[in-house]
Amino acid sequence: MSLLTRLALHIPAPVVACALLLAACAAPPVQPTAPAQPAAPAQPAAPTEPPAQPAVQAGVVVVPAGGKIRIGGSFALTGPIPDPGKDIRQGAEIAIDDANAAGGVNGFLLELVAEDGACSGDQGTVVGNKFAADPTIVAVTGGTCSGETFGLKPILQRARIPFVSPSATNPAITSEDCDVCNRVALSDALQGQVDAEFVYNELGFRKVAVMHDSSDYGKGVAEIFRDAFVKLGGEVVAFEGAKVGDTDFRAPLTKIGVSQPELIFFGGYATEAALIAQQMKEVAGLEKTKFMGTDGAYTQQYLDTAGSAAEGTFMSYVAGDTQADKLSAFREKYIAKFGIEPEKLGPFHAQSYDSVLLIVEAIKKVAKTDSAGNLLIDREALIKAIRETSGLAGITGTLTCNPIGECGAGGVQVFTVENGAFKQVYGFGLR
Amino acid sequence: MTVVPQEHGWRAQRSNALALPLLARAIGLLIVIAILARAVSVSLSENYPLTFWVSQLVNGLVLGGVYALVALGYTLVYGILLMINFAHGEVMMVGGVAGFFGLQIASSLGWLDGSAAALGLLFALLAGMGVAALTGVTLERVAYRPLRGAPRLVPLISAIGASLFLQYSVLLIFGVRPMVYQRPALIADGLRAGPVFVPYTGLIIFVTSLLLMGMLVAIVQYTRLGRAMRAVATDKEAAALMGVDVNQIIALTFLLGSALAGAAGVMLGFHNSVIKFNSGFIPGLKAFTAAVLGGIGNIPGAMVGALVLGVAESIGPSALGIPAEYRDIIAFSVLVLVLIFRPAGLLGEVVVEKRA
Repeated sequence: MSLLTRLALHIPAPVVACALLLAACAAPPVQPTAPAQPAAPAQPAAPTEPPAQPAVQAGVVVVPAGGKIRIGGSFALTGPIPDPGKDIRQGAEIAIDDANAAGGVNGFLLELVAEDGACSGDQGTVVGNKFAADPTIVAVTGGTCSGETFGLKPILQRARIPFVSPSATNPAITSEDCDVCNRVALSDALQGQVDAEFVYNELGFRKVAVMHDSSDYGKGVAEIFRDAFVKLGGEVVAFEGAKVGDTDFRAPLTKIGVSQPELIFFGGYATEAALIAQQMKEVAGLEKTKFMGTDGAYTQQYLDTAGSAAEGTFMSYVAGDTQADKLSAFREKYIAKFGIEPEKLGPFHAQSYDSVLLIVEAIKKVAKTDSAGNLLIDREALIKAIRETSGLAGITGTLTCNPIGECGAGGVQVFTVENGAFKQVYGFGLR
Repeated sequence: MTVVPQEHGWRAQRSNALALPLLARAIGLLIVIAILARAVSVSLSENYPLTFWVSQLVNGLVLGGVYALVALGYTLVYGILLMINFAHGEVMMVGGVAGFFGLQIASSLGWLDGSAAALGLLFALLAGMGVAALTGVTLERVAYRPLRGAPRLVPLISAIGASLFLQYSVLLIFGVRPMVYQRPALIADGLRAGPVFVPYTGLIIFVTSLLLMGMLVAIVQYTRLGRAMRAVATDKEAAALMGVDVNQIIALTFLLGSALAGAAGVMLGFHNSVIKFNSGFIPGLKAFTAAVLGGIGNIPGAMVGALVLGVAESIGPSALGIPAEYRDIIAFSVLVLVLIFRPAGLLGEVVVEKRA
């Protein structure tokens, strides 16, 4: 039963159908007849490419005259953080709108192909396969969560589709051996380190407990924090895990309570963080213990769920080097289009905008128009162009990609909750 | 549904066929000894205070109480129909969602202020139970009754379908955001005895599950309805010939079980604050495990199984010195070990001997 239901939960039937019928799913509106192409069979197609697709010339995306440039998006629309996922998708849509309003690329308009990565590795794999099977997908923005992005990574690497994640923070998302992997968000290698320094130096705590939600993201940042805190000279009295979706944390909290730590650090998402903040108030030994979460929980949803238990808790966030004028212009368009302030949903809308911006600017550099009026985008050239991005002015600062694909600017900020709102107390950009 | 554990009929034959469980039992015994040795050595080295174990026991009993409320419904339906209603966890979730809206309504009517709070809570509870009962009865009518004559696996698959249908209906209608129960001041606190804290919500869950178990046993054993249920369980045709309305009795069984699940959903909402579309899946799975552990079809068995499971999950990680994220492994290991030694569950299955 468990297996059956789980399978059914994770793989929506239409997606399976698409994965099986590669050709049938390849977006009909952009099917060109491509008379100008040299005979396709003459060129040996790459083994991962579906054979005999008229749109596919090995390693080149052909957008027929009048067609649109399709950018894939993997967003966590369901799963543990649906609101931040929606926010990231909407940020990307604004970026596409802006690019189209500015004339697109050589007169070709852009289109966002949004898929639900569900913040999970399984679903990331499904989305990755879907994009890899679609020869019209030029590049991908996403995924939202680290686990989801680990699902995308090997598939997109094989399919030679570059991606830029606005919000996946696990250090291993980018690596030496992955030339298609890029991100705008800052790595947890930085966040875990700064959080440890904040707790050790600023709060002066020496004895902490660390919890995580067993996700790639949560466990990753929790381990980095633990190691950094121990290196600073502090003591980590417990390292306890839970699972994404758990709602009762009283047993592990009771265990942690025995050693009476000064702070509990939690790597994970908003709902679990809020429930821990709430339930630790019931546990002996944790009466005076503070709580600290990470960027996955830095949301309105955390405040709403934890209620009064959120007061005085800490939250860190991997902030961009936000450009106030650009952000306010972005917010105006966002509110006009979606009728909600982006901060109410999640923190990563600006990074999402910049991820798309980075992709579009790179496409502009490599796109060529052929004699028949088709737009040609060479995949390898695009992968290189994204990695060579330098000095690009985005909302989150000046974006420059380093050799392994870390493109973001900014630093880590730490907030506390005061009267039901976040207030910065430490870190990057604090005045 | 006589309350005599059956050890004959096809079951007895099967246990004869499994004459080599000697080996399984030997392995099981070794595992149990290893676990006990580990538990003793860890408890000695960790030196937890006694109050710690009491706190964990309280956590476990409350968790077990939640499982019990769901497991009772599982076992009730199984006892009558020999059918595993896998959608039962989802019925609980629907009850929790309905309770959330009941609470919203009560709050907007001002029923949660001051001394009237009990009224508001009762309203939320009744809303949850009512909607869950309706859902359960509808499920029976639409998804199970048409398949009553079919082989036993068919309604099982139908139940899995119903489970997914309910999950995704709630997902589509109410979205993915968790619904947050705001605990009224009346039940926000708890009993404190030194370092041991028992939240009122937990206490309510535990006491309610005990009361409801007693009530169910009483209904099944001592009322006309119960007699009719047992008659239907024994032989549907004969019961019909004796003037029992079989359809009605089965519908009432679902009504009873689903109302219990609805109550569980609302109480879980108060205890753990959040309910969302997939909140019923894991408790449903655990409750099913608990029902099998205690002996499926056996009402006190479901209660005992649920409490054993809850306590094992809560105390296990500390006692064995393993990280808390592995508590599900403990739960299912307990199931396997119990089934090695008592294949019919802790208190024995209560399966009415069907006429061939």
